[in-house]
Amino acid sequence: MTAGDRILIIDDDQDFVQALDALLGQRGYQVLHARDGHEGVLRAQREHPDLILVDVMMGERTEGFFVVQELRRVPALTGVPIFVVSAVYDAAPEFDVPPHDAWLAHDAFYRKPIDTHALLTGIRSALAKRHEAAPRKERS
Amino acid sequence: MKTLILPKEHLDFFGSVLQQFGELHGPVAHGEQFVFRRLNRWSEIRLDYTRTILPPKKYFLPPRERLFRYRRGAGWVPETADLERRIVLFGVHACDIYGLNILDQVFGGRYCDPYFATRRRHIAVIGVDCTPDEHCFCRSMRADFVSQGFDLFLQDLGDRYLTFVGTALGDDMVLATQGLFGDVTPVDIEEYKRRSAERRGAFRLEAEIRDLPEIFEMEYQSGLWEELGERCLGCGACSMVCPTCYCYDVADEVELGSGDSARTRTWDSCLFVDHALVAGGENFRASRASRVKFRFYHKQRGFVAQYGRPSCVGCGRCIEACPAGIDIIAVIARLREVDHAATC
Repeated sequence: MTAGDRILIIDDDQDFVQALDALLGQRGYQVLHARDGHEGVLRAQREHPDLILVDVMMGERTEGFFVVQELRRVPALTGVPIFVVSAVYDAAPEFDVPPHDAWLAHDAFYRKPIDTHALLTGIRSALAKRHEAAPRKERS
Repeated sequence: MKTLILPKEHLDFFGSVLQQFGELHGPVAHGEQFVFRRLNRWSEIRLDYTRTILPPKKYFLPPRERLFRYRRGAGWVPETADLERRIVLFGVHACDIYGLNILDQVFGGRYCDPYFATRRRHIAVIGVDCTPDEHCFCRSMRADFVSQGFDLFLQDLGDRYLTFVGTALGDDMVLATQGLFGDVTPVDIEEYKRRSAERRGAFRLEAEIRDLPEIFEMEYQSGLWEELGERCLGCGACSMVCPTCYCYDVADEVELGSGDSARTRTWDSCLFVDHALVAGGENFRASRASRVKFRFYHKQRGFVAQYGRPSCVGCGRCIEACPAGIDIIAVIARLREVDHAATC
């Protein structure tokens, strides 16, 4: 981990965000927050976080899918790991498209309630790879 | 043609997964009208739309595009960056797909336009059926149903869509989301036929196009063209909104100093006063009457001679857009000397 790595959480669930904020903050991460997809994309474009966590169901049940695709089209965010979190995504019986399929272009999927150990391990690993591939410039 | 059933409750998931095939665009509300544009979330799409202000032609033949640049020392440099952008155009009506098929004949024929052809290869088309309103006459123009020119076509059956798979790409889209689709049952087929018949009966405008080129031929000297010329403002709105008008102008723009230049093409209209203006100042269609007449003759007679069908698809946009209230259905009725409620 690089000190002060910034993680953007795009989720409308305030309780989840607060819990994650505490968890990540204790480990030295700086947490940014956006309450919906639109705000999340704007914030990501403006602040270039090191990793992004996106919930699927926000204002509508597929909002997170559109957010991931939008983020992937922002050149300045190329290579930024995107984790998808959801309580319902892979539980929807009619939606027989597994989250590990390539279509969503995300880096990892975590089911809510989150296994915090697995999430922290995933974040550390993704950020390490990210910094190895593209060493972070000093922020002004 | 492969057919499947897609429950409407799965449509948002389907739209989500489709994004792996390109940016998802569709009809969205724009004030009281509709436009095609990129979807930021699924709920923006309005599959109940009547017609968009501009047809999807704008994706394949943009209103303005730079074709190439010229740089001193480097020569001509094609502008191709945007040509291969993958887009999934969701919710295109049959008449507009028919319009694209007509443009395929124009731009993909003997003199292939590489810009149009490349975009056509990279933009997927997903059609959806519609309910005709007071300006629609696609049925008269035989464009109310298409059997080609789309990757998928969704026919509304109430709580589900009967889905026609038109291409291998469409098949890939279905395979990527296979769990969302089901098999067609006899009940679905019955419902499709019932709705198809109901839709045929819903058209309020009608024009007979058989022998129309011959009638145009015989009415070449009709006083109607002068009447229309008096009313037409020459604004070109009818051409700008037409799914099949393909006239364009090209201009070379030279940068002062550097000597670099660029060639740009923009939509043109045969209603514009300088459309037939040539070097030396001669204008072959100087009067508005001659320009209005030309447009009608090209759509309903000239195109038939060259391609075997009118280039009009009956979308009704020109009727809706004309500030002078010129109505193609009324014009045809006047030529045929049959009753029509509207004045032309």
